[in-house]
Amino acid sequence: MTSSKDERSTAGAPARGLSRRQLLTGASALSAAGWIAGTSGGWLLRPNWANAAGPIKMGIATDITGAIAPSGNANWQVAQFAVEQINQAGGVTGKPIELYLEDTASDPKVAVGNVRKLIQERKVDVVLGGITSAMRQAIKDPIVNRGRTLYIYPQLYEGQECTKHLYCTGPSPAQQCDELIPYIINKLGKKRFALPSANYVWPQLLNKYARKVIQANGGEVVFEEYYPLDQPEYSATIGKIKDGKVDCVFNTVIPPGLQPFVKQLYESGFQRNGGVLSCVYYDENLLNYHPAHEMEGLYSCLDYFQSVNDPFSTKLQEAYSKKFPDTKYLFTAGSAATGMYRGVKFYEAAVKETKGDLAREAVSAAMDKGKIADGPGGGAEMVPGKMHCKMNMYVAQCKVEGGKTRYDVISKANMVDPKEC
Amino acid sequence: MTAILSWQTRRSRKGLRVLPIIEIATLIVAIAAPFVLSERLDLVTLATNVLILSMLAISFDLCWGLSGIMSFGQALFFGVAGYVIALVGRDLGFSHIWGTLPLALLSGFVLSGLLGAFLLLGRKTPTTIFVALGTLTGSYAAERLVSGWQYVGAGNGLSSIKLLQAGSYEFVEGRAFYFLALAILLLVYIAARILMRSQLGLVLAGMRQNEERLAFFGYRVQLFKALVFSVAGAVAGLAGALYSYHQGFIGPGNMGPGLSTTAVLYCLFGGTGTLIGPILGTIAVEVITYALADIDAIKSIWPVVLGLVLLGVVMFQPKGILGIFVSDRERVGSYGARPQDGA
Amino acid sequence: MTEPEAGESRAGGFSRLVIMDFGVKLAFDLLAFTSVMVLIVLGLGVVASMMGIFNFAHGEFVLLGAYTVFTFHESGLPIWAGIVAAPIVLAIFGALLERSIIRRFYAAPIIAMLGTYAIGLIIRETVRGLLGGHYKSIPEPLPGVFTVGDLDFSIWRTVIVVTTLVVIAASWLLLTRTSIGLQIRGSLENPALARSCGIATPRLYTLTFAFGSALAGLAGALIVPLYQLSADIGLRFLVQAFLSVMLGGVGTFEGPVLGATAVGATAAGLPWLVAPVLADPLVFIIALVIVKFRPQGFITQGRL
Repeated sequence: MTSSKDERSTAGAPARGLSRRQLLTGASALSAAGWIAGTSGGWLLRPNWANAAGPIKMGIATDITGAIAPSGNANWQVAQFAVEQINQAGGVTGKPIELYLEDTASDPKVAVGNVRKLIQERKVDVVLGGITSAMRQAIKDPIVNRGRTLYIYPQLYEGQECTKHLYCTGPSPAQQCDELIPYIINKLGKKRFALPSANYVWPQLLNKYARKVIQANGGEVVFEEYYPLDQPEYSATIGKIKDGKVDCVFNTVIPPGLQPFVKQLYESGFQRNGGVLSCVYYDENLLNYHPAHEMEGLYSCLDYFQSVNDPFSTKLQEAYSKKFPDTKYLFTAGSAATGMYRGVKFYEAAVKETKGDLAREAVSAAMDKGKIADGPGGGAEMVPGKMHCKMNMYVAQCKVEGGKTRYDVISKANMVDPKEC
Repeated sequence: MTAILSWQTRRSRKGLRVLPIIEIATLIVAIAAPFVLSERLDLVTLATNVLILSMLAISFDLCWGLSGIMSFGQALFFGVAGYVIALVGRDLGFSHIWGTLPLALLSGFVLSGLLGAFLLLGRKTPTTIFVALGTLTGSYAAERLVSGWQYVGAGNGLSSIKLLQAGSYEFVEGRAFYFLALAILLLVYIAARILMRSQLGLVLAGMRQNEERLAFFGYRVQLFKALVFSVAGAVAGLAGALYSYHQGFIGPGNMGPGLSTTAVLYCLFGGTGTLIGPILGTIAVEVITYALADIDAIKSIWPVVLGLVLLGVVMFQPKGILGIFVSDRERVGSYGARPQDGA
Repeated sequence: MTEPEAGESRAGGFSRLVIMDFGVKLAFDLLAFTSVMVLIVLGLGVVASMMGIFNFAHGEFVLLGAYTVFTFHESGLPIWAGIVAAPIVLAIFGALLERSIIRRFYAAPIIAMLGTYAIGLIIRETVRGLLGGHYKSIPEPLPGVFTVGDLDFSIWRTVIVVTTLVVIAASWLLLTRTSIGLQIRGSLENPALARSCGIATPRLYTLTFAFGSALAGLAGALIVPLYQLSADIGLRFLVQAFLSVMLGGVGTFEGPVLGATAVGATAAGLPWLVAPVLADPLVFIIALVIVKFRPQGFITQGRL
């Protein structure tokens, strides 16, 4: 199926890159980087030594366009970066990794069709991707059930995903809330919580867990509300925040409703009057979504921040910046990028363990006990039988300097158990 | 232009009917397709989707081409039926074909019956604009409602839909599902043909020509419209259920104005008033979109091209692709004896 | 006044003040949102009244207004200039479109809907291609809040409200005090009669369509700093705008304004009464039911 057509395209790649119109800068950048347009819409990255022993086909299904595009672009850049490092070191058990990209367009409806291409047309060995839980729910069936393919989900989420052969490399609610919420209640003294949320599964389940932790630490949930994803007006919400004397807004609204909400909250003077904004997916990439001053003082808890300066993380960031200089898509934790890195490394480790056997059962069994020694923010360890992994968690606060954000780490917890499944 | 018209008139004078030729040709291609494409599962999946979506386009044609009801909301019935069978599969664990497809037909029929009654019946005859906007609003409001309703998955939609079953056989994407969709499409097509050739079809033809005159004859035009609208809704519902089973996913976007207006596009592109036109329109649009997704430079331009073509169709050739080959007389169907000459 | 008394009156007065605060805040937020709707609906309404067609591409004119501001911002020009330019750009664009394509549709309103839908599709997908499918943020030209007493008001929203009022006042003056305004009003109420009185309707139609487009462009330019720019922002307003026009009544200037106010107020106010996720579709259902039982709208003059 690959053969002649793709070889022709490989040969022609630079020429195609030069003849593209400036308008489609994304496309020309891709070609310049060695990507080849695949049949029916996807992209394929094949290293130069695409030779013998059959490559490992890795499918990335992420949001290149749409509301979640800044995060989607970050995590596929990281995927490219991680895979390139592996291929440069000789591949996995001598086999190169071929990357296939499909755009899930921040729209589950479209995603289902595109992901199916990865499975049916490309016949990939593993799929990594999905950012919002809505996306994961939509694409996991075509991948795991109908497609019988391994699926690694790289983003922080609400937990309770215990489907076999679906591994989660992002933080779970336990990993995020168990550190963050007690800190806010005990150290910052903010006890009255508001939970404004986007109306879908991640906020609903996360809020259930958060509520438990809040109440266990002596805090109080003043109100919990759900809005359509693209809600533009939040005056009623801001009113309730003022009315209820809320001092901590634990936000789970996501783009596109996020920007108006954060703006309106800021304009209402909430932070000026001592209120605390907290959101567990906030990282340095959020600058792509709204201006810095609106997130100043925000508290987040993730598996990595760029200010974490252990030697491995620092070297990793340097290498990433070298590959993607001046990119606005940073290697951060809230955008599924660190989870993507971890996912690629876990897969590599698992295939090394199976000595090159790519069958799903074999790789899955190996991944179940997987360990990676190094990663951004630290290594990670799969909890056997639980499909989730332990990782270091950091609580940090957002500081703004010259229009840029910097997350200052406040505390670190080592190898936190995800407590899932 | 005149050359084409005179060619058509010459042909129709000779009594040659192009429509059946096109229909049979399409049928042959449809039957052969999955065998020719046997290697490419993704293309068979595409073809199945095309069949299902063309049912949606036909449902629009029943409204507009046959009865003059401009409905910007056919996707509403499509989506609701899709949700109904997904919920039945999830909550009752039931997905047998002999139960769920009739259920889809029924839900489409009832919902469109209710909406049709609200929009079309009443003391004052509603304007076409009101009906058009009413259907658009219905589709839009439903999309917003479902986006917020937790029980049906809210913005997530419903995924991991229980597979369609016939006895103990489960339908997945592939040749079996393709032929199931084809069989159902054929049934719908034949049923619609029978409707068109019946006495009811004659009334509808009268409605198309001149509603007021028909009302003066004593026909309750609005009631007929409501009836056709309900039937079209049933067809859309059936399509929605098949789509849901095939994709394994149904979301708010599948019942909103986006999909509704796409159905309009398919139908106009192919040619309204015939039943094969919407099918051809769907095939053309979907296949070209899929093929062009290959060529990145064109991928973002194709929807613009589609819009331009649609504009052209609306402005100059309101009969769609089919209008080039098929004369007017054949398009709206004929009744009784063949025309003698001209006339 | 002794301490305890001051404390008591403060405690008692606090809740009253808080409620008053909300009333004012609520009214202000409703006003801000409704102003945008009014600008959009006015443009749609005058076209619907005078030419009898519903412009399905109207939402895309809003998009183009927003996109103009974005283009100015990207090229390093001040956003202010973009906001001033947007209505002008849209007026020219609207006039050209009307002369070339739209005027063919006047005879058949349904064909007009389909044709303008196609035009809207073209515009939307072109912008989507230009944006690369991404969402873009544009900073407010006047960011921040100003404080009156205890309350904070967003500066930019105030600008929107003021601009809308100015535009409506100016349009009103134009319609009532100038001769061209008289011609427009005549054509709004009874196009056939106006034509037979010798009013040059084709030129008037072009002018009206350009005016409607300019309003939409202005609305888009004003709201884009608040909501993000993406190819789909036009669609969001479309259904609401259509319903507002039908609700308010076709054939007058005040009708669409009233309709937009009613729909906008309901849309912003309902979330206070019912769960937000229910409020969304409820607005449309209520409006549709009202239109069904009063098809001529609130203010009844002219046709449709």
